[in-house]
Amino acid sequence: MRRILISVAVLLLAVSAGCGSGSSSSAGSAGAPVDGGTLRGAIPDNPDHLDTGISFAVEGWELLEATNNGLLTFKKAGGGQQSVIEPDIATAMPVVTDNGRTYTFQVRKNVMFSPPVNRAVRPSDFQYAIERLFHVGSPGVGFYTNIVGADAYAAHHASHISGIVANDKTGTIAFHLVKPDGAFLDDMAIPFAFAVPTGMPYKDISTDPQWRVATGPYMVKTYTPKQQIVLVRNPNFHQWTAASPKGHVNEVDITIGTTPEQAVNETIDGQLDWYMEAVPPDRFTALRAQYPKQTFLFPRNNVTYFSMNTRKPPFDKLAVRQAVNYAIDRNALVKIFGGQGIPSETVLPPGFGSSYQEHHLYPHDLAKAKQLIQQAGATGASVQIWTTNADPAPKAAEYLASALSQIGLNVTGVKAVDDSVYWDTLLTQSGDPQIAFNHFDQDFPEGEDFIDTTLNGEHIVNVGNNDVSNTDDPTLNAMIDRTKLMPLGAARNAQWAKIDAYFMQHDAGWAPFLHLEQATFVSPRLHGLIFTGSYFELIPEMWLSKQ
Amino acid sequence: MIDAPPVAAGGFRTALRRLRRNPAAIVSAIVLLMIVFACFPGAPLWVSHACNHGPSDQNIQGTITENGHKVPVVRNDGTPIGPGLRACYLLGADSNGRDLFVRILYGGRISLEVGFISAIVCVTVALVLGILSAYAGGVTDSAISRLLDLIWSFPVYLLAVALATAFAVHGIAVGPIHVASTSLAIPIVVIAIVYVPYVARPIRGQVLSLRRMEFIEAAVASGAGPVKIMLAELLPNVASMALVFLTLIVATNILTEAALSFLGVGVPLLTPSWGNIIEQGYQTIVTAPWLTIAPGLAIMITVVSLNVLGDALRDALDPHARLRIRN
Repeated sequence: MRRILISVAVLLLAVSAGCGSGSSSSAGSAGAPVDGGTLRGAIPDNPDHLDTGISFAVEGWELLEATNNGLLTFKKAGGGQQSVIEPDIATAMPVVTDNGRTYTFQVRKNVMFSPPVNRAVRPSDFQYAIERLFHVGSPGVGFYTNIVGADAYAAHHASHISGIVANDKTGTIAFHLVKPDGAFLDDMAIPFAFAVPTGMPYKDISTDPQWRVATGPYMVKTYTPKQQIVLVRNPNFHQWTAASPKGHVNEVDITIGTTPEQAVNETIDGQLDWYMEAVPPDRFTALRAQYPKQTFLFPRNNVTYFSMNTRKPPFDKLAVRQAVNYAIDRNALVKIFGGQGIPSETVLPPGFGSSYQEHHLYPHDLAKAKQLIQQAGATGASVQIWTTNADPAPKAAEYLASALSQIGLNVTGVKAVDDSVYWDTLLTQSGDPQIAFNHFDQDFPEGEDFIDTTLNGEHIVNVGNNDVSNTDDPTLNAMIDRTKLMPLGAARNAQWAKIDAYFMQHDAGWAPFLHLEQATFVSPRLHGLIFTGSYFELIPEMWLSKQ
Repeated sequence: MIDAPPVAAGGFRTALRRLRRNPAAIVSAIVLLMIVFACFPGAPLWVSHACNHGPSDQNIQGTITENGHKVPVVRNDGTPIGPGLRACYLLGADSNGRDLFVRILYGGRISLEVGFISAIVCVTVALVLGILSAYAGGVTDSAISRLLDLIWSFPVYLLAVALATAFAVHGIAVGPIHVASTSLAIPIVVIAIVYVPYVARPIRGQVLSLRRMEFIEAAVASGAGPVKIMLAELLPNVASMALVFLTLIVATNILTEAALSFLGVGVPLLTPSWGNIIEQGYQTIVTAPWLTIAPGLAIMITVVSLNVLGDALRDALDPHARLRIRN
């Protein structure tokens, strides 16, 4: 589950129903893109890493999308199209054989690494990239443990992952899986599987220009933590398909350490083109009124919810969990998030195409909620609510406290934990909260990412437990396991939607309330903003008008 | 920090006469009384007679009628209604649709309670440690003095934040005593602890000078035990000093509570205090500045009044102004 720097998604990002622009938008006047110019960007703090093997935060991926490539990529488009997977360095989509257990790719011959490596990308570079994950403490290892031999390699019992067969002479690479997995294509499209030159050290190379090499239209010229990141054109880049855009601006200068308020003021003053974080929610309405062509609300692939621990009373009773779902007014919670979110009862966000089907199981109904609490014999049960201290989460928790009190539960307090430790604490079984503020941002835009990760009881562990509600319904688990085997496509999406509804009806371990949107404010000269849940604004698509 | 010998004993009646002749003291005392009245009996009276909203009642989806038009308490973009001449939402609402004026009244209760109780705890502990340390001397004095040095060596807010954060996870558990992490006792204890050295040290200094005086020697000669000497002879002689400290420490503690709550480690979230009202309003300071300014003014007025009254009390009890607090 990727998180945003600082107050993350929750604090500064958000979005709202009925007032969003499209998910793919162009800032300012339309027209043919113009090449050239220097894009002036800013970010509040360092990106987590500029290493494809280690980065797992939006800001890192946003930059790596402009500099590096994998065998596959997500379509460079917003809306439901963003989950479509296309070939990138692979010449075509892979040939799938062995009942969905083998994926064979043909690698392009003309894709070059940037200086100082200056050579063509080889199939073995992809094998090395994945094997390297197991040496650098990568948070992405879990995506590739279904490859035959990955476990043995992780245990140092093998010199290579036996299930990856790369042939540099023929230009092919084959992946043999332990069991079929339709989402394997997604795994191959995220930065953990991007090509890196064989021999790249088993350490974070974010600040090492010798190894910080690119295959994409841009390369990182300099990265001085706490100061600046400069992207310039990669001299070895030659566009190979429309899926590998050449980029429009000549240079991207990103200042590190700019606060959201400062960014708004600098954009108004004409000193800044683009800010990598969201506009402070309370500023957005006024900005939207004054600068309608420079403000955007982009739907993020996120779900924000209250997770209820099914192992702890009173939430071990389905009726109580359903009561919470009836008790909260989702429109009121959207207001707490600055009006920047889509009220919802679903686990999956609208950006997931046909997987997203809004169900209407829980209209706001305090009387019904109170009745369920009484039926469950839970009236007066003590409840403590946990939340991160990053605004506006505490306000949402306070709202929940009020709603729970109204339906007859005894709220003993709201525990606000510092955001820097909250999420790790939440994923640990010991001291697990009864009910907690929670949210989940996509790793890749497919139902499996949200549902298998957070709701499949087979994955419950003591530490790093993403199934925070401890939902463990054998029927649900079986449905998830069956769906994971299906190939990507409409049938699989329909199954995810069905599972989403089943979970909310029969388990209800969550009270989802909104899908966040990203509030963006850019300079009048910046155009070509395409927002995706995976990479947010795509840097290679941005262009600057001549002013 | 006190840097001079303390006041002489007795003379409370004289001090009271001096206090009455000080107009600043009278005004600040009246202001303080008004604040206390508004926060304690006044708050429920306002809620029951002027506006039927409690401090925690949320009305995000509600509307009020102004000039014949229905106005949302919180707009769709999350902006709450601002101040206006009306019974409900006199000072506007917060992001959760709660009545800010009512919350400031009830929040004042908590801030004043935390300020006063933590000051009483602080001064009481300081009196015990200061008198014991100075009178017992030897190992006891060394142990207590080093403990005070240890606490003193940390910046006040750093220590307070560290303690409050530590207690925020599992509360306080000492033997059979367990204080929940969401209890109001946590900020009270934390604030009391961090200021103990600032009071205990000057008291110790005062007792050190008193214990060499003839009336103590006379008490010892008459067979009085250490406990009796400390309680019957020394305590009354440092009482006026403790009283001055109490007044001044209350103001400091109210500010500390506000600072800790602003940092999210003070008063528990569901309990309104001036500090956490500011914290909750701070995120919208550009679009809804009243959420920060109103509780800020309440703190300012209270603290200024307490400081003026404390100064006046000191002047009354110690006309030669030997007692000084250096911040």
